[in-house]
Amino acid sequence: MHRLYTRSPIAKIMWGIVTSLIGIITLLLVLVSENPRMEAQTLSWEGRSIENGATLFANNCATCHGPNGQGLLGRAPGLNSYYFFTDTGRLQDVGWVGSLEDYVRLSIAAGRPSKTDSQWPEVMPTWAGQYGGPMRGDQIEHLTNYVMNWRESALAQTPDEDPFQPFEDVFRPTEFQNTAFLLLSEEEQAAALEEYQARNIRSPQEIWESEACFACHNLEVNQVDYAGQNGPNFADLHERAGSRVADMTAEEYVYESIVSPRAFVVETYEEVGQMPENFAEKLSEDEIQALVAWLLDPDREVTEEE
Amino acid sequence: MGLQENIREKGVLGAAAAQADDVFTRLTAGIDAGEFRRMLQGEPPGRPNPRLKPHSEGFLLHIKPTYYHESVTRFTHTYRLGLLSTYLFIVETITGILLMIWYAPSPERAYVDMILLLTNIPFGQFLRDMHRLGAEAMVAIVTLHMVRCYLTGSYKPPRQFTWFTGVLLLVMTLFLSFSGYLLPWDQLAFWAVTIGTSMAEAVPPAVVGETVNLLARGAPDIGANGLLRFYLLHVLFLPLLLILFFFVHYYKVVHFGISLPADEEEVGEDTGNRVPADKRVYYLPDVLVDETSFLTVMTALLIVLTVFFFQAPLENIANPQSTPLHTVAPWYFYWLQGLLKIADKFIAGVLLPGVLLVLLMAIPYLDYNPSRRGKDRKVAIVAGIVAGVVMIIWSWMGTPEYAVEGAPAVEIVQDVMPEEGSGLAREMGYKHLPLGVWRTDEEYDVHDHEFNELLHEFNHAVDYYRRADPDFNAPVGILTITQDQPSLKKLKWEIMWFDAEGTPGDYEKTFWLHEDSLYWEQYGWKHLFTGYVADGWKSLSGAIVGE
Ligand code: HEC
Ligand code: HEC
Ligand code: HEM
Repeated sequence: MHRLYTRSPIAKIMWGIVTSLIGIITLLLVLVSENPRMEAQTLSWEGRSIENGATLFANNCATCHGPNGQGLLGRAPGLNSYYFFTDTGRLQDVGWVGSLEDYVRLSIAAGRPSKTDSQWPEVMPTWAGQYGGPMRGDQIEHLTNYVMNWRESALAQTPDEDPFQPFEDVFRPTEFQNTAFLLLSEEEQAAALEEYQARNIRSPQEIWESEACFACHNLEVNQVDYAGQNGPNFADLHERAGSRVADMTAEEYVYESIVSPRAFVVETYEEVGQMPENFAEKLSEDEIQALVAWLLDPDREVTEEE
Repeated sequence: MGLQENIREKGVLGAAAAQADDVFTRLTAGIDAGEFRRMLQGEPPGRPNPRLKPHSEGFLLHIKPTYYHESVTRFTHTYRLGLLSTYLFIVETITGILLMIWYAPSPERAYVDMILLLTNIPFGQFLRDMHRLGAEAMVAIVTLHMVRCYLTGSYKPPRQFTWFTGVLLLVMTLFLSFSGYLLPWDQLAFWAVTIGTSMAEAVPPAVVGETVNLLARGAPDIGANGLLRFYLLHVLFLPLLLILFFFVHYYKVVHFGISLPADEEEVGEDTGNRVPADKRVYYLPDVLVDETSFLTVMTALLIVLTVFFFQAPLENIANPQSTPLHTVAPWYFYWLQGLLKIADKFIAGVLLPGVLLVLLMAIPYLDYNPSRRGKDRKVAIVAGIVAGVVMIIWSWMGTPEYAVEGAPAVEIVQDVMPEEGSGLAREMGYKHLPLGVWRTDEEYDVHDHEFNELLHEFNHAVDYYRRADPDFNAPVGILTITQDQPSLKKLKWEIMWFDAEGTPGDYEKTFWLHEDSLYWEQYGWKHLFTGYVADGWKSLSGAIVGE
């Protein structure tokens, strides 16, 4: 037994030196392998987050968005969808300026606040605990990672495979709300839209109603409903339009006011809710011309709705 | 003597050398360069012995005795276990303070901080593994130290109080380890601590139990408050308490001297602090060299074990809503968990541990046998061995091996793909899991060795429960592997069977596995790199053999 105890200080010091070398070499091994290790760990935690997201999705979302995220007809839109992932698709249509990942995170966390204007029988529920939902922040994060992990397969979908369902909240005509349209070049899209507009010319009054000009403008002097107080009154438009801007006829001025409203801002309206700037895209040339003439017509006819 | 005179007398070089020697002597608190050299060369000290000075003048060495009895410096007398306990406490303090830099004790952050530590902090995983290994080693070493003191009878007069403070230290070590257990805020931590603290509730009367529980958890259930309280216990209160009692303990050890091997003194005598001149081994340099080299070896061992053989677990984030299958306490509390399986909470969780603790503290006062010699202490030693064996049996009963079998179908899936940790399926990994439907009642001709092993294990588990459980007849296991997303496979485990009456039953469990996922068993250096090496070797040897 006593032989275990070594008396010689030299032997002890040698043991000390040899083992410190072993310790140092081991630490050096760790040092050189730290970068790959941290990388592998990072990937691993992303992967595990996706795994967790998959479980959460199967338990909470698949009933509406389908087991593969392809949506269910008339119930909820597809997420595993080309339209959803491509830049010119869903993001552009809802006018979201952030990244798709942020859009997904926010949609899951907050849900959709109300049923107003929703084509879906049940709204997207709120999930994040901070907005009154049942989930913790990390679970929202897992779900976001899981949904975003469809990117590769979704972007590989052909128009036929995309489980797309038209959205009513999108301005683009329903017949162009599909993957086939998104896959066209910009010129082809423009041409298709132009052709569509030529096919579907609306009367000035239809435009007035469908584009909600009435929400900001009144057509008569004494029209006093709450709507229509946000912009100038048009009862006397034909009288003042011609003299508003030098070198411009009444027609040119009204046309310009619709196509680029910021060009000439009517006094006292500098601060208030401004005229939308996208009518040039929404209306065809012919429609605008007819609208201008109609607005400037002192005897314009307005047919009452039933 | 002024500097100028000094230079005049000894010349510039001589004066500088004298000055340097002076500084050296001050730093070593009394040993000049010449004496230091003689010490290294193994020559005897001058007279009066200047090597005693650091003990009386220096702070660090004043707690160390100037010399030891030759017999107690033998490795096999103490095995340096007390020293090692002290050293591990220091290792824990250092690694612990470093870990505190990246840790915040709140449920929102604790778990994320653990992940950040693993993914973004160089040496982060190393620190965490070492802290965890050090903590477990400390529990083991302190216990072994107690066992050695028991076997050498060192608790006998005059060292009763040393033993008593030792028991306090053991309790604090256990609580330190246990309070640290909660901090990662994963399922393992949360449920082990939930079960552990629930015993406090059993303290009678009910008001007291509830109050103790409330004080520890900060709320009826463990949450933000409980985490904060455990954190403060772990990083502040318990360490300070342990340091205090360590000094009491150590003062007593030095005061009485370490007990001599029993057969070197008469029965009833204690000569630990009366060392004859020819038996003295001085601290400087002999014991110092001995302790330093011993601790160097231990440090290297700790590093090697940490890097190559130990990965601290990290399960999924704590979820109060779901209790994972087979929740276990840390291994040093297995005995308690075992007891809890056979007795109610009050008896097993409060009464018995309390009695055991009092007994342990009272050993020096109960054992009136004056002799420390083994052959005179047959009863004590047999009792000690019996106690040890009982502890081991209780501990075994604490493991999931004993009396917690769930339903066979649940156990089968848990066996191949557990809820937490990796298990065989995850360990083989994504690339060895071919898409398809795999049934236990059919033979497949798959050329993937690892996957075959999984199917085999699955078969084996189904078959085992078929034989073991009369309510589990003609079972079939079906594993369906599908590609759920890019880089994400879905594994659906389905078990179908008939019970004794012939009613069919089925069970289904689905897991997902991502290509890049690692589970904590796979964090090690070994796994990361030997994986590559093994794959490389396989393809190389495959190419040579011509596959
Ligand atoms: C009650 C059915 C329902 C459930 C359950 C549900 N959703 Fe939705 N979800 C919807 C509907 C309906 C929409 C469309 C909302 C809208 O655009 O008005 C939607 C929209 C979304 C969107 C935005 C899609 C887009 O194109 O704007 C995301 C992302 C989403 N859901 C993710 C999830 C996730 C993740 C879950 C599970 C935690 C989930 N949903 C659960 C019904 C549901
Ligand atoms: C959100 C409110 C809003 C909507 C909707 C809106 N406008 Fe306007 N419009 C304004 C405001 C405010 C002004 C005055 C500021 C300016 O000249 O840009 C204005 C100015 C005009 C002018 C110039 C009027 C003048 O007195 O000089 C015309 C013409 C016009 N709008 C036509 C339209 C038509 C046609 C539509 C529907 C297709 C429409 N607006 C929809 C808010 C709106
Ligand atoms: C944190 C925990 C502890 C530390 C740091 C510690 C430290 C030490 C040290 C450094 C010694 C000197 C001798 C040696 O190394 O063996 C010692 C001796 C001793 N310890 Fe501990 N100890 C601890 C726990 C315990 C426990 C749990 C017990 C028993 C219940 C105990 C009982 C004793 C006794 C009786 C001695 C005197 C041994 C002798 O004189 O031979 N100690 N301790």
